[in-house]
Amino acid sequence: MKFWSYFADLTGCKEAEIELSDYTTLGQVHTIVLEQFPKLAGAKNSTLKAVGLEYEDDDFVLSDGDEVSFFPPVQGG
Amino acid sequence: MKTELTISTAAINEAALAKRREMGKGMGAVIYFSGVVREIEGNAPITAIDYEAHEEMARHQFALIFDAVEKSWPVESVRLVHRLGVVPVNEPSLWVEVTAPHRAEAFDACQFLIDEMKQKVPIWKKPLPA
Repeated sequence: MKFWSYFADLTGCKEAEIELSDYTTLGQVHTIVLEQFPKLAGAKNSTLKAVGLEYEDDDFVLSDGDEVSFFPPVQGG
Repeated sequence: MKTELTISTAAINEAALAKRREMGKGMGAVIYFSGVVREIEGNAPITAIDYEAHEEMARHQFALIFDAVEKSWPVESVRLVHRLGVVPVNEPSLWVEVTAPHRAEAFDACQFLIDEMKQKVPIWKKPLPA
């Protein structure tokens, strides 16, 4: 998984890998991430989540090789 | 609908972009918007904004927004440039152009495009204090 913008500062890394069991959802991964990187907890409700190039909901079931991104609200322009 | 998307660290050359403008015979409206880095961010003076993007996803999300524009308005073309990296105060970070038969759809499409970008395109900014 990847962390973007100031999430990379809060976690201290831009990328991390975790082993998941079958049928893990994106929401469950977010919970694991918050346990592993508690500094992200304050941004829990505003965190945006993507799998590959698409935004996905918490109930999205991940497959092998999926690249998950976590990031704060976007600010283009 | 013709689209042209540029995401780059290079400075935005508005004059060169305007010079390359192409409009079909039925087109009567061209709207362009330039978003410029302000001297004040929040209440604090800054020297520049450092823009970062998840570029591959940004390109994909822009493509989805362009598709939505095409489905909603009779727009002939959209050109959009977003600058990344350090953009000094008073320089543009964003340039958008929409051409259409009439001004109403050109204004509406341009507004929609920028609103959607600000919700969905993964670009972030870090103000650099003065």
